[in-house]
Amino acid sequence: MSSPQTSQQVGPMDTVGHDVPRIDAYERVTGRATYTGDVRLPGMLYARVLRSPHPHARIRSIDTSRAEALPGVRAVVTHETHELIYSSGSIAGGRQYSDAAKDITRNVRYMFDNPVRFVGQPVAAVAAVNRHVAEEALQLIEIDYEELPFVIDPEEALEPGAPPIWPEGNLALDFRNEPRPSGGTSGDPEAGFAAADQVFEDRYTTAFVQDAQMEPRSALAQWEGDKVTIYTPTQGISNCRHDNARDLGLEDHQVQIICKYMGGGFGDKNGSYYFDLIAASLAKEADAPVLLELTRKDDWLGTHGRWHTVQDLKVGVAQDGTVTAIGLRAYSGMGPYLRRSGGISGIDAYACLNVERVIYPVHTNRMVSGNFRAPSDPQGYFAIQSMMDDIAYKVGMDPVDFALKNMRRPTEEVEFTNYFLEECIAQGRELFDWESRWRPEPGSDPGPIKRGAGMAFMMFRSGVGPSSAILRVNADERYTLFVGVTDIGPGAKTTMAMIAAEELGVPLSQVEVVWGDTDRCPYSVGESGSRTTTQTGYAVVQAALDLKGQIAEKGMPRGDDVLIASATPTPSTQGKRRMCFGAHFVEVEADVQLGHVRITKYVAVHESGRILNPLPARDQIRGAAIQGIGQALHEDLLYDPRNGHPLTAGYYGARHVTHMDVPEIEVTFIQTDDGFGPYGAKTVGEAGIILGPAAVANAIFNTIGVRMKDLPITRERILEALA
Amino acid sequence: MKAFTNQNARTLDEAVALAQQALRDGRSVSFVGGGTDLLQLMKDKVVNRPGSGDPDVLVNLKTVEGLDEVTSSGQVVTIGGLTTLEALVEHPVIRDRLTVLAEAAESVATPQIRHTGTLAGNVVQRPWCWYYRNGFPCYKAGGNRCFSIAGENQLHAIFGGGPSYIVHPSDLAPALVALDATFRVVGPEGERTLSGPDFFVLPSQDAEHENVLADDEVLASVALPAPGDGVRSAYHKIMDREAWTHALVSAAVVLDMDGDVCREARIVLGGVAPVPWRVPGAEALLAGQRVTPELAREVGAAAVAGARPLSKNAYKIPLTRGVVERTVLALATSA
Repeated sequence: MSSPQTSQQVGPMDTVGHDVPRIDAYERVTGRATYTGDVRLPGMLYARVLRSPHPHARIRSIDTSRAEALPGVRAVVTHETHELIYSSGSIAGGRQYSDAAKDITRNVRYMFDNPVRFVGQPVAAVAAVNRHVAEEALQLIEIDYEELPFVIDPEEALEPGAPPIWPEGNLALDFRNEPRPSGGTSGDPEAGFAAADQVFEDRYTTAFVQDAQMEPRSALAQWEGDKVTIYTPTQGISNCRHDNARDLGLEDHQVQIICKYMGGGFGDKNGSYYFDLIAASLAKEADAPVLLELTRKDDWLGTHGRWHTVQDLKVGVAQDGTVTAIGLRAYSGMGPYLRRSGGISGIDAYACLNVERVIYPVHTNRMVSGNFRAPSDPQGYFAIQSMMDDIAYKVGMDPVDFALKNMRRPTEEVEFTNYFLEECIAQGRELFDWESRWRPEPGSDPGPIKRGAGMAFMMFRSGVGPSSAILRVNADERYTLFVGVTDIGPGAKTTMAMIAAEELGVPLSQVEVVWGDTDRCPYSVGESGSRTTTQTGYAVVQAALDLKGQIAEKGMPRGDDVLIASATPTPSTQGKRRMCFGAHFVEVEADVQLGHVRITKYVAVHESGRILNPLPARDQIRGAAIQGIGQALHEDLLYDPRNGHPLTAGYYGARHVTHMDVPEIEVTFIQTDDGFGPYGAKTVGEAGIILGPAAVANAIFNTIGVRMKDLPITRERILEALA
Repeated sequence: MKAFTNQNARTLDEAVALAQQALRDGRSVSFVGGGTDLLQLMKDKVVNRPGSGDPDVLVNLKTVEGLDEVTSSGQVVTIGGLTTLEALVEHPVIRDRLTVLAEAAESVATPQIRHTGTLAGNVVQRPWCWYYRNGFPCYKAGGNRCFSIAGENQLHAIFGGGPSYIVHPSDLAPALVALDATFRVVGPEGERTLSGPDFFVLPSQDAEHENVLADDEVLASVALPAPGDGVRSAYHKIMDREAWTHALVSAAVVLDMDGDVCREARIVLGGVAPVPWRVPGAEALLAGQRVTPELAREVGAAAVAGARPLSKNAYKIPLTRGVVERTVLALATSA
């Protein structure tokens, strides 16, 4: 383990710290990489899912006889044939990976539910000899629905008399099975507001945004005896195996999960999905391998995205610009099942300790909300940092000075493993040339085409924790690294090989990685929470240390012999907070006559510890910033409140950014080593998405002089605000 | 997707005959050119031809020779219906003399779609209203309602609406009308040639269709009078992102200039009405006038006279005004 260097910057090592192309780049760009949808097994059938056309309805009867009679159909499954609980989609309180939570939860989600609670919910599935027969068979399934009252808006859902989605009501149950808001109080908010010279109140809202990964989801299941193999695009093969085993009534060893390549993660795939269960059920019924494929629309509506929020903020400020108290009362739209927490982050980035938070995770008859890259952050940071930016102007301060005055710093009570937020802001301010781009008088440029600047800052958890690695060497000095990672985009496979090569002191070409298969790899924490590099990477360091010790003691293996080391470290920061830090500075050009916004400069400064492979790390920040821009300016899943139907599913409807919308994003890393993780590496993948909405919105305010409080900030909203 | 029969036509007459035969057999039929949109409608099970459901028969026009040719003979430029959008973008005569059409074609969708999608397909594509595309039983799908009126109408018509409030989705259509195109339609009774106002129909005339084509009629080609030397034109499309979507508002502007004086103007709007929407009041202000910033502003204001927004699309009024003002001024003052 490297020695802590808590306050100074670090540089490249032998392998780590250099730009290294992905070790599987060739396979990917030549089409040889096998994604789930590419796998073909002998005798394989194709499956399609029939989905609810109603936002809330009871199925009176379901008749599959005509579908079953169609030549080529091999299996049809419904809620009547398969009463499987789909676990990780229905955990009380949004707690992840908890068997105990599944035991107690009352708002159970089944693989096929009755009643159905959102448009797009699965009601039946068919396996057939080809896709066309499967699709035709879906049309032959006759369902008699009793339509039920529904509710789309989270605030309306909590009003008396709102249609109940669950018998307990529409406020989601917490992990104790009690309908309670999350949040809580710290310090003394009442005294804080009393001490304020001015108190500001405002409402901000954020829209539902889909993860929108490129690869449509699919699952291929094959049974051999009482063991099932499932190929599925998961971010965590270990958790996916455990979830599926639990829900299928099997032991973990009876389930094999394979995910070698996948076309994007972006959150909430570190576990099972209902379509794994459907594929497994159909494969068992049909006694043949079954590939279930989701269409783009199935994928859009039948999975999850970031919860939309309504946030009422109240902030007290003293004469000198010090924030004295913060209040948040908020609603998070979760859809009919509580897949994840519905939390709202951002307030913790401020030093003010007098905080009251009341967050209602609310059930609606919209599609399910879940974790999307920094699950609770972009929506929370947009609201609180727009609010604080607005207050800075109102108290006559430069927003950067206001940030530096009020941001959280280490205290005796709350220690950090290291702290670089101030450096991120200072370096961003300089690289961006804030003084020349920011307008002291918002909207003051003459003419219809104006420019202005905004910024936002953040800190984000970068924990340490357990994961596993196995390392083997043979007589040819070939090293094989077994890690249970899947490669969702950041290049985990390459990073793990680099860490092994660094610690072993061998060239990267001598290390081969075995990954993405639960029958061949040890436990891995999974590619969520931006923790693969920090946790599994640290296990690789420990396994390499062990192997080096064995080689030193016994010498290199000879003949057919091998040496093997394994490690499952459980590191701890001893109560210190381990965070990564960042600041984004954005300049926009706005055409106030046409309502057009164009980003003309985007500077992202991040401290994420030591950057092990700068090439993909920069792209992680860029890709995340692009998603943040999309959330800021474009994306929404619009529902018609009168009929409960989504109107804008898909890349066309949800207006995702194209290459032509994306500005140059200038990424700078401040590299450090706090002594934790592999060589001081911290979180990268999620950190870049957090600040886009806030920084873009603040830049728009500086440019046009009108505060845009609702995401997305579309052309029509700008024109309406300026009308 | 429903199973269907593909039939390759060798001539336009054969294509029409194949369609007639299918209809006589009680089978629904669609002509297919590039198919970029039709196949997606079929996959999404959106009613393409009202009253007839998903097509049982596709009559393939790509096998008809000569349908993708651009010919320039004296006073007329004729463009075959199967001409791809990319061919329009690249054609030297269209680029130089009929610039508004090349710019409109270039603004459509993505390079892949422009290389496959055709002029006729772009002009006769079904609306992109989110109710229609999501399978609601609206007028355009053969139903008897427009869901946008009391619903989500951000993208809907501010002119010419009722009983349906869709906007015409084509970028080429406003450009063609601005260039005074005629539309050659081939059907069982032979062929007929229609002006823009006669080819496109308002919902008040026919709520189900956007044009006069019957199920067994093909848009074979368009003909454009060759513009005189002083004519210049431009297409300005406003989208809610930089590419790959339909117009929120667009303006096809053709100016016949004599020095800095405008002899005659044609201004046709897209994205604001169920048909390409010509604004004669705005055009008239330009006739015989020097185009100044002040005049351009008046022209923009005249272009939105009579607009009747729905509950959520009033933003299209200032947007249209601004687009027309800017396009007219930029075009008139370009060298």
